[in-house]
Amino acid sequence: MKKKSAFRKLFGSREFLLAVIVVLMFAIVSAVNPAFFSFKSVTDMMKNNAVTMVMALGMLCVMLVGGIDISIMSTLALSGMSIGMLLKYEHIHNTLLAFVIAMAIGTLCGFLVGLVISRADVPPIIATMGFMYIYRAMGYLVSHGGEWAGASALGTFKNFATTKILGLSCVIWVIIVCYVIFFFFMKWTRTGRKIYAVGSNAEAAEVSGINVRNIKLMVFTVMGFLAGLGGALQVSVYASAMPDMQQGGEMDVIAACVIGGVSMSGGRGTVIGTLFGAFIMAMIPKALPLLRIDALWQNTIKGVLILVVVLVNVILQRVADRNALKGREM
Amino acid sequence: MAGKSGRTISNKPESPIKKIIFSWEGILILVLIGVNIFCKWFSEYYNMFNLLRQMPVYLAEVFLMMPMAFILVMGEIDISVGSIACLSATMACIVCNTGAPFIVVILTALAVGTLCGVINATILTNFTELPPMIVTLSTQIIFRGIAEIVLGSGGSISAANTAGFKALGTKVGKVPIILFLVAILAVIFAIILGKSTFGRRVYAIGTNRLTAHYSGIHVQKIRFIIYTVMGLMAGLCALFLVSTSYGANTTTGTGFEMDAIAMAVFGGISSTGGKGNLAGGIISAFIIVCLRVGLGQRNVHAQVILLILGVLLIAAVALPNLIGQLRRAVKKQ
Repeated sequence: MKKKSAFRKLFGSREFLLAVIVVLMFAIVSAVNPAFFSFKSVTDMMKNNAVTMVMALGMLCVMLVGGIDISIMSTLALSGMSIGMLLKYEHIHNTLLAFVIAMAIGTLCGFLVGLVISRADVPPIIATMGFMYIYRAMGYLVSHGGEWAGASALGTFKNFATTKILGLSCVIWVIIVCYVIFFFFMKWTRTGRKIYAVGSNAEAAEVSGINVRNIKLMVFTVMGFLAGLGGALQVSVYASAMPDMQQGGEMDVIAACVIGGVSMSGGRGTVIGTLFGAFIMAMIPKALPLLRIDALWQNTIKGVLILVVVLVNVILQRVADRNALKGREM
Repeated sequence: MAGKSGRTISNKPESPIKKIIFSWEGILILVLIGVNIFCKWFSEYYNMFNLLRQMPVYLAEVFLMMPMAFILVMGEIDISVGSIACLSATMACIVCNTGAPFIVVILTALAVGTLCGVINATILTNFTELPPMIVTLSTQIIFRGIAEIVLGSGGSISAANTAGFKALGTKVGKVPIILFLVAILAVIFAIILGKSTFGRRVYAIGTNRLTAHYSGIHVQKIRFIIYTVMGLMAGLCALFLVSTSYGANTTTGTGFEMDAIAMAVFGGISSTGGKGNLAGGIISAFIIVCLRVGLGQRNVHAQVILLILGVLLIAAVALPNLIGQLRRAVKKQ
């Protein structure tokens, strides 16, 4: 087999295509409205979509093993609401402690989901649908039936989102750290490669000595951990905690992964692709008002974009397959 | 998940009575009786009259459950139905407000639903590589997005001429029309799924798609029909939604797809395909309706009811699997 040159590999890759799309979108929007092309607008965009961007990483892992998790936004609401209430009733004051509690709750939630999926063989969509109801309801119960924790109740916690380190908001540093850790984790650690192995062929992975059940358990636990982190970020960025926050937001996270080229049947997808996918999802609500398109069109455009991306992907794949066949005939 | 279906072949013929009691449907009927006893004890207002009066609000979702059962038996999923219901309800209200006769309103709702179903079906049958989850995820966003555009900045519309919708919500004697319709459709759908050639083909597709294809079943044609019917039923559901609220807004039908899937799965229809029947789905639908009416009468928060639903759903799938694993472990020793 011919070895592709590094140059061709770069241009042929899906990540490159996505990067081109992102740059094109940037260029077009900036050309129409120069206000878009500024450091502040980009960092604002990232800050407002921090939750989706961080949680897309967990969804990447889940989708790599061929699963799906639609309970994440309920986990987010439960963990975010818990720290919101703890801060409101002044049980805790420390920002770091609040983050740790939120992440601990999230991890526990994810661990439970993982146990049900990996040990009781419940299909991921059904199990996470059940937990979506359960955790959302628990969020309501924690909030004493729908109480809010507003900005005044959150004390110094909400300052986390406004504090800047080296010119960048703490929230953006969290995103960067997460992406860097995951990039190395998925590419160069043994566990990261095992996730890909399980996703490509679970039975082959089992035979070659990988404990598939434990990998699945781990993946959903990681997802829960990131959902807990997302809960803390959500509360600090929007300076409020309410039990119905981010309802339906799990579809945005899944869409970010799908646009980023993560395959739903597992085994395919990269951290870089996910980053670009999340970026495209973040750009749509920010760019539309600047292009003077009514905000009402936002969801339709988002949906059409997802559909177009997956359809183009299939068509490109078909063309590639046909070309490969042609090569064999000759 | 793969290769652990846990099916065993037993040579001993089972007695039919034992088979009925120990089947999933038998357990569900016991649960239904248990839920009714519990609701009677829990709420003093829980009786046949009030049950029939408060039922229609929750029954609209049962329309979605029936075609969803077909889709789940095929091993697929459709999460766009809630949005289809939203779009058809919106269109029905708009047509109703132009003063058109009520039959036109009904036809609009059904036509819009069917059209959305056809769109789903066309994409899914032409691009078979795509998982239905992704396609219906994007159409879910698109259909609700169109409803948002149509509704404009207010985000809601109310039907000015409610006479027709009131007629839909009336009762024959003490039984609401919707219950009759659910019963008739349930029988039709159950017969098609359980007894007809079409239904057996759906099971064949769900068990092994490739084998079904090679044994001469038009897999794509059947998928097309089922997704179209799914849209049609979402339109019907929308009509009854409007008949209870006399209007539509951007959140109409949110989460209905999940409720419909939950009903079907709780009724023993496996989401991995090829297993379950509609009787179980119908019984579980009534368990959920009774539970909602009973708990709702004492002002139990809707979220608590969802909590119970979530636990039931996971238990319904996890327990049989765990029992099967335990049995195998015992047998090995």
